[in-house]
Amino acid sequence: MLRNRLITVLTFNGGTLFRTKLFEPDYRYTHNFVDSWSVDEIVMLDVTRDPGADKSAFYEVVTQFAKECFVPLAVGGGIRNMDDVRAMMAAGGDKVVVNSGAVERPEFITEIAEAYGRQCVVLSIDARKSDDLEGGYEVFSHFAARPTGKTPAGWAAEGEQLGAGEIMITSVERDGSLQGYDIPLCRQVSDAVTLPVLGMAGAGNWKHFVEGVEQGGLSAVCTQNIYHFTETSIASAKKFMEKKGIPVRL
Amino acid sequence: MIGIVDYGLGNLTSVAGAVAKLGFKPDVTSDAARLEAADKLILPGVGAFTDGMANLQARGLIDILNDLVVKRRKPILGICLGFQLLGQSSSEFGDTAGLGWIDAPVTRLQPEDASLRVPHVGWNDLSQTRPACVLFDGIEDGALFYFVHSYRMETPPDGSEIGTCDYGGAFTAAVQKGNVFGTQFHPEKSQQAGLTLLANYLEKA
Repeated sequence: MLRNRLITVLTFNGGTLFRTKLFEPDYRYTHNFVDSWSVDEIVMLDVTRDPGADKSAFYEVVTQFAKECFVPLAVGGGIRNMDDVRAMMAAGGDKVVVNSGAVERPEFITEIAEAYGRQCVVLSIDARKSDDLEGGYEVFSHFAARPTGKTPAGWAAEGEQLGAGEIMITSVERDGSLQGYDIPLCRQVSDAVTLPVLGMAGAGNWKHFVEGVEQGGLSAVCTQNIYHFTETSIASAKKFMEKKGIPVRL
Repeated sequence: MIGIVDYGLGNLTSVAGAVAKLGFKPDVTSDAARLEAADKLILPGVGAFTDGMANLQARGLIDILNDLVVKRRKPILGICLGFQLLGQSSSEFGDTAGLGWIDAPVTRLQPEDASLRVPHVGWNDLSQTRPACVLFDGIEDGALFYFVHSYRMETPPDGSEIGTCDYGGAFTAAVQKGNVFGTQFHPEKSQQAGLTLLANYLEKA
């Protein structure tokens, strides 16, 4: 039986692992933990905001990390063209995560899918609550600063048509809140596509993972707040999920 | 030296990294002489079947591989798309002929349970239908491996299937026929079980 995945998302700023609650860079987390922990997949995102910034620091981190990473590795952040995609894949990515680049030029999804296969394209969608759009949410791009006029469900379905292989849905309001995934948002997106959907932002305890899968229809639950994730906690999260009847890899 | 066939598709870095981790020297190449010099071959790849065959053809690799694998019996391990290319043909984007070393077509994954999503992405159990195969040394039946695919190889009639996976119905997830090995899943991305399987291929096949 296919297991639901628990995915760890690592964000980097100028090549430094960036955490929102602990400011000192600490690479102990990124060395070898993939093998000793029971995480199912890793996402590495470059969240450096300066568009002119040198990306080489991030590529170097990915390259070093990928050498010891024997679970799938998705990489992204600032991907705008096929040169960016090639660089991310050459650094050791198995998939690329696209967000604003796809909003700016939707056919970019197709270009990546044609070159590397659709399983290589994770369409990341950041959504905020909206009073105006049907469904009550609007897609925002460019670090969630720019409204797009698209609904998350509509954009996800369009992304599937264009060649995306997975959808990652992030609630901007829930980011760092520890209040749980935005379940209606996850549900709208998972109902809109036949692709696997990865839910992101808000997980604060193990119950939230269960809710995300059972009520949100998520194939994978993501968490960014690695501060709380020690070796035992991923295992303990998975044991909890299994006890609640969710198939996971222990 | 392990020749990793470079035909412009897929996660060659990951495969080369896993081979190096296991203490072998990877050589990512499409050069005939270098592939000939390799002790064993790996045919990796992700993406579309049609592109895979077109790229092999464009680089002159089909004749080279037929010579090395069929005539000279050099071991080869196909992974994911590389596994599917071992088959007779694929219905992905029209009918395309494959390498034809395993007598089975590749067709779209159609889970009986319509709620199951395609592509099939994630960790799933591998049932060993031929546990004695050298690839499975030290790996328990039902061990989890990482899959990502929308097409699957139909069951080969010649008994070359060594493992199956269930996703709304069982499908062939691994094969072995003489010196030809293949896995639909990614051993290089399946943590300890995957590295063990890869080590078995590199050391014992």
